[in-house]
Amino acid sequence: MSKQQVSERRFIFLSLTPIVLLFLVFSVIPIGIGTVLMLFDYSPLSSSVPFAGLKHIRELLSDEMFYKSLRVTFTFVAVAIPANIAFTLLIAIGINKIRGRFWKNSFRTMFFLPAIAPLAGSAVIWTTMFNADSGVVNMALGMLGLPSVDWLTDPSTALLSIIIMTLWADVGYNIVLFMAGLDSIPESLYEAAELDGASPWHVFWSITLPMLSRTMLFVFIMTSISYFQMFPQFQIMTKGGPLYETYVLALNIYDQAFTYMNMSYASAMAFVMLIIILVLTLIQMRIGRSQWEH
Amino acid sequence: MRTKKWKWSYMLLFTTLLIGSLLMFVPYLWMILTSFKSNSEILTASNHLLPQEPTLSGYKKVLGEVPFFRWFLNSLSTSAIVTIGAMFTSALAGYIFAKFRFRGKRLLFVVILATMMVPFQIVMVPTYIIISKLNLVNDLSAIVIPYLVSAFGVFLAKQFIEAIPNELIEAARMDGASEFRTFWSLVLPQIKPALSALAIFSFMAAWNNYLWPLIILNEESKMTVPLALVFFNGQNVVNYNVVMSAAVLIMIPVVIIFLIFQKQFIKGLTMTGFK
Repeated sequence: MSKQQVSERRFIFLSLTPIVLLFLVFSVIPIGIGTVLMLFDYSPLSSSVPFAGLKHIRELLSDEMFYKSLRVTFTFVAVAIPANIAFTLLIAIGINKIRGRFWKNSFRTMFFLPAIAPLAGSAVIWTTMFNADSGVVNMALGMLGLPSVDWLTDPSTALLSIIIMTLWADVGYNIVLFMAGLDSIPESLYEAAELDGASPWHVFWSITLPMLSRTMLFVFIMTSISYFQMFPQFQIMTKGGPLYETYVLALNIYDQAFTYMNMSYASAMAFVMLIIILVLTLIQMRIGRSQWEH
Repeated sequence: MRTKKWKWSYMLLFTTLLIGSLLMFVPYLWMILTSFKSNSEILTASNHLLPQEPTLSGYKKVLGEVPFFRWFLNSLSTSAIVTIGAMFTSALAGYIFAKFRFRGKRLLFVVILATMMVPFQIVMVPTYIIISKLNLVNDLSAIVIPYLVSAFGVFLAKQFIEAIPNELIEAARMDGASEFRTFWSLVLPQIKPALSALAIFSFMAAWNNYLWPLIILNEESKMTVPLALVFFNGQNVVNYNVVMSAAVLIMIPVVIIFLIFQKQFIKGLTMTGFK
């Protein structure tokens, strides 16, 4: 080995070792433990960790609460993700059509601001806004002559309230991503379409959407991964209630792990969440790839 | 051109966006206005948005009766260390992945990328176990150490460092610069935009993190600001004006930082989405 190679090896070894070590201890090993913990009976109070086989999986399959939280999670995701994508795409297209830098930037800033605030803080604010007696939402309804709604305490509106809050808090990121995606579509495509006399609707379907497919795929995957794990607003605004109508999987897992200290059982549920996210991501990537080929 | 500029559809679009963005601002306005109300005024159902008898009692309580400054410092110091740590490790690891060859490189990089997709719920229990084995429960370092290496950051830095021409690095070596020196004074300055984006992301993520501090910190003196907010909100008798005053004090710095660094932030966000 030349002197150069020796110093290269030494540099790689010295810099990478602490980084890889940290990464192993706080990423790889936890993922490893996290996927096998459900096969054991772990308790923070006992020193032995007996093998439990599929006990926790069986428990899971007969746990009403688990099914309930799965349903709530899927309802939340099925409403919130499409709503998010539709809103953000529309707003991004709208802002992109605005002439003048000042207004364009101002609109983007206004829609983005909530995204930088701590979600926990936003949740606290929205809790008071949705308050049935003194909240601003019912105040506004009252001014319009409409009856007030028990937003967070009525089982039929609680999840909807959290979805509204989540959309407020979260649309900024995707708007910015879509705006960048729109900027990268060559102007000449639109000019050609205009010459052909294509309708705005047609332009949207045959130019804007296909040209955005890469952005769309990225946005879909990132939004899904993050929405399945959403936690602060559910824990703060409703604590999963009323009647467990907002008891998402993330909250169920947290309660099992750190309120009831059933850590192995919580891990079994977390594993289900991991599988769901992996499968969804793979499906989205498959769909995305087949779209590019066209 | 002039008549076209003021077409009805454009006016409609502009007005819709204007109303939309004003609606986006309502929660902030509500937070600020409520923070100046007295608690009894908040609780009596009235139709006044504006405080009828403006008072600073909420702020006095936050700043005087609880260790708010302490919580603020907890958040500030831990977020700052996480940010600097993540920037450094990301750049260093990114440099090695981009410009060196060694056994297991591809596998290691794929593993790093794969961890990004794993939900936090999978790792939170094991990480809790590891942290308690290290005796760091209720210690502020517990919210720092696990975040010192960022998979996303390594990925981002690698993408940018790959764009630096190899000849430039070779030339520095020819001049006899040590490996670390090459990294520090040649590579780092080249990837400043990526690093500043990463810095903003890391800081925001650390500052806003709720779930992990909630799990690992449960002593009052160790709380971070998001925990403090929820702590006020969860008391038996909720003092809404105190909660709102605390919210204002926590949100405003983030908003100001964002407005200052907005350009880099937006650039960073789009960069990371498309690289």
